[in-house]
Amino acid sequence: MNQRHIFGTVFWLESAIAGGVFVVIAIILLVSLVRRRARVGLVASQRQDNRKLEISYAVVLAAFAAFLVSYTAWQNHRETGANASTAPAGHASSSAQGSGAPSKPVTVNVTAFQWCWQFGYPQAPGSLKVSDNCQGGKVPTLVVPTGREIRIHLTSKDVIHSMWVPALRYKMDAFPDHVNSFTIKIDKAGRWVGRCAEFCGERHSKMHFWLKAVPPDEYKHWVQQHAAHAGGAQA
Amino acid sequence: MTVPATSDPADTRTAEPDGWLGWLTTTDHKRIGLLTLATSVVLLFLMGILALIMRGQLAQPGEDLIDAHTYNQVFTIHGSGMIYLVMTPFAIGLGVYLVPLQVGAPALATPRTTLLGYWLYVLGALSMLCGFAIPSGAARSGWFSYPPLADSDYSPGAGPDLWVIGVAMSAIGILLMAWAVLWTVLRKRAIGMTMLRLPVFSWSMVVTCLMVLGAFPSLLAALVLLALGRGDPAIFDSNVWNIGYQHLFWFYGHPVVYVMFFPYLAAVAEVLAVFCGRRFFGYKATVLSLLVFAALSMSVWGHHMFTTGQASNDYYSLTSILLTVPAGAEYFGMLGTLVGGRIVFRTPMLFALAFIPQFLIGGLTGIMTGTPVIDYHVTDSYFIVAHFHYTLFAGSAFGLFAAVYYWFPKVTGVMLDERLGKIHFWLLVVGANLTFLPMFGLGYKGMPRRVNTYSSVDGFGLLNLLASCGAAVLAAGMIVFAVNILRSLLRRRRGGLAPMPDNPWNAHTLEWATSSPPPPENFTPDRPLPPITSNAPLLDLPMAQKEAEGANPGKTAQPGEPAGPAERSGL
Ligand code: HEM
Ligand SMILES: [Cu+2]
Ligand SMILES: [Cu+2]
Repeated sequence: MNQRHIFGTVFWLESAIAGGVFVVIAIILLVSLVRRRARVGLVASQRQDNRKLEISYAVVLAAFAAFLVSYTAWQNHRETGANASTAPAGHASSSAQGSGAPSKPVTVNVTAFQWCWQFGYPQAPGSLKVSDNCQGGKVPTLVVPTGREIRIHLTSKDVIHSMWVPALRYKMDAFPDHVNSFTIKIDKAGRWVGRCAEFCGERHSKMHFWLKAVPPDEYKHWVQQHAAHAGGAQA
Repeated sequence: MTVPATSDPADTRTAEPDGWLGWLTTTDHKRIGLLTLATSVVLLFLMGILALIMRGQLAQPGEDLIDAHTYNQVFTIHGSGMIYLVMTPFAIGLGVYLVPLQVGAPALATPRTTLLGYWLYVLGALSMLCGFAIPSGAARSGWFSYPPLADSDYSPGAGPDLWVIGVAMSAIGILLMAWAVLWTVLRKRAIGMTMLRLPVFSWSMVVTCLMVLGAFPSLLAALVLLALGRGDPAIFDSNVWNIGYQHLFWFYGHPVVYVMFFPYLAAVAEVLAVFCGRRFFGYKATVLSLLVFAALSMSVWGHHMFTTGQASNDYYSLTSILLTVPAGAEYFGMLGTLVGGRIVFRTPMLFALAFIPQFLIGGLTGIMTGTPVIDYHVTDSYFIVAHFHYTLFAGSAFGLFAAVYYWFPKVTGVMLDERLGKIHFWLLVVGANLTFLPMFGLGYKGMPRRVNTYSSVDGFGLLNLLASCGAAVLAAGMIVFAVNILRSLLRRRRGGLAPMPDNPWNAHTLEWATSSPPPPENFTPDRPLPPITSNAPLLDLPMAQKEAEGANPGKTAQPGEPAGPAERSGL
């Protein structure tokens, strides 16, 4: 859950900064409202500017912006760096937390369509595909193994959709005639809701799916069982 | 509209036909400006009603007040209407009305094209709204109408066609008006009015109009592309045109955010200065920051496209976050003005004051959404809906109301009621925050935007209910506002109001040097232009002359304070 961790760090940092800035400005505002309320004997200052203060303030702001941009870009590269890891593996991060040797990522081809999802497993025998119609509460489940990298190739059959798993703090758009690829990795077993985040027409609000992470053994079992249905369309 | 009996005899010198025809064919910038302002305020109410319908539908999980097909039309027209037909035209309309007065010009540079611009805007609005009258309904693919969803395969019917035509017409109308305002500042300033003596508001219009001229053609190009795609949807089989549309659209779409911000920010700045009884602090820094802001704003559009996977994260994040520098400079000016001010709490000032922290929330969350790793989660969720309503509603619209309360006496010759104004203000503050603060939570928890309903297991019920209650408070506030406006106008028509001083707030800029409302030629021999010696010419006048100019006699030392009945008779 690389994305979730990075989101957590950066969101926390920026919220703290934003909170601090808000409090400072609110205090300046409130204090001047109280102290500068019009009353007999109080005269308004006629000062027009304060060049020195303005310039130093701008410099501080610029330095702050530069810090924020580079820090968050660095975090972004950590995230996409993991994304690009179809390259020969063995980098520190994956072996550090992994259970044993880093294995080849699991590939899933996700196809969005009006108004549901299809998950294809090209590495499984008989190129297993899972789908549903997202009606009457019947939504498809994207089953993946825990602890392994999952490489998602995302596209669409018709209009633009967006694949969002709020618990992962990540989404990516699904375009027709274009494939977006990214990598996720899930540390623990569980089931999370996924939604379509890009408006795609009448049933956009119903276009859900489940993301289900199971231990690798169970995953293997699940693949064999479903592949036995020879490209079966049910999950 | 009739000429009030108390106003300057110059009013009757107008060469224009009387009555309706006179208004509809006018070349007087004040009339065109007023038409634009009035039209956009009427549309503000209409679009607000659409918002209430949405908040009704979303108040509880699984509601069925309106179906998905209708909901999609409602959010599309609410968003499109608020942006294309309310906040942008109101901003430009303020410029059309005020800029010639503020620079001491008798008229706009190109009055006829301005009138044409107004009519295009009105026809555009009608075209967009007509969609509701046809069986297949109005446009329903959102205010940015991405293809392929918006092409004729996925959104058949005449509603979306009317939307494309309507947006294009109003955009051309705005372009023409912006051109007129810019040209007026550049070419028609009075003697002595140098560029560095322009009031902050006029400067904001210069920058705004530059952005309009730079960005709106890109919107027109996007609309042409969409129109072609509605003719032949096959072109959107190719990704190039889909992503190309997004680039064209957001090249317009981000700068327009500042078109809907600068004029309101500057209105707030003027109100702050006047009700602090001093010059705006850091004038030059503010002007410079507006220019930097506008230039940068043309380079940030891709931050709307981080999740497309087809835009450079680093570049757009860099330019977006750099915007904190000019934005920070503007906050510096506003706070600096207050810190040394002598603050008088009248209704325009209340709205201006609330603008500061409320817009700040929109701005700070804007830094977050400009950060790709955060944006991945929050974009296209209710977090974004909260973010842009904090900027557009809790920010810009508060500036809009500050402007209305502040300039209403200038434009009509009568004041708005203070008590009703304060009720309006407090209802809006409570309502806006109650409506939009919970939406940050909803988005964070995973509620996507543009959904017509949600299920009770999602856990979105409570926050949505709070937001809908807030909407009811907002509605109450807006009713008070409508009553206030209508009451003052009715009283003016009936007569019997004590005459108002021409400069009831002791304001600083030239529009207040002439009568209220101003005569057709703005400045006349008996109400001549005062000498222009700074960006606040009326502050520079010696005391005696101020009184002659119509400021509250005897009260000049206490800017912004109400003129009691005793003083009013001094006219
Ligand atoms: C100046 C005022 C306002 C502006 C400029 C504005 C602008 C917008 C825009 C641009 C959208 C996006 C439409 C789209 O997704 O295509 C929107 C959506 C929405 N607005 Fe407003 N709005 C304003 C006032 C309000 C008010 C007062 C309320 C609540 C009472 C409100 C409630 C909503 C709701 C519920 C949505 C739909 C969100 C969704 O379904 O995704 N808006 N607004
Ligand atoms: Cu969707
Ligand atoms: Cu933007």
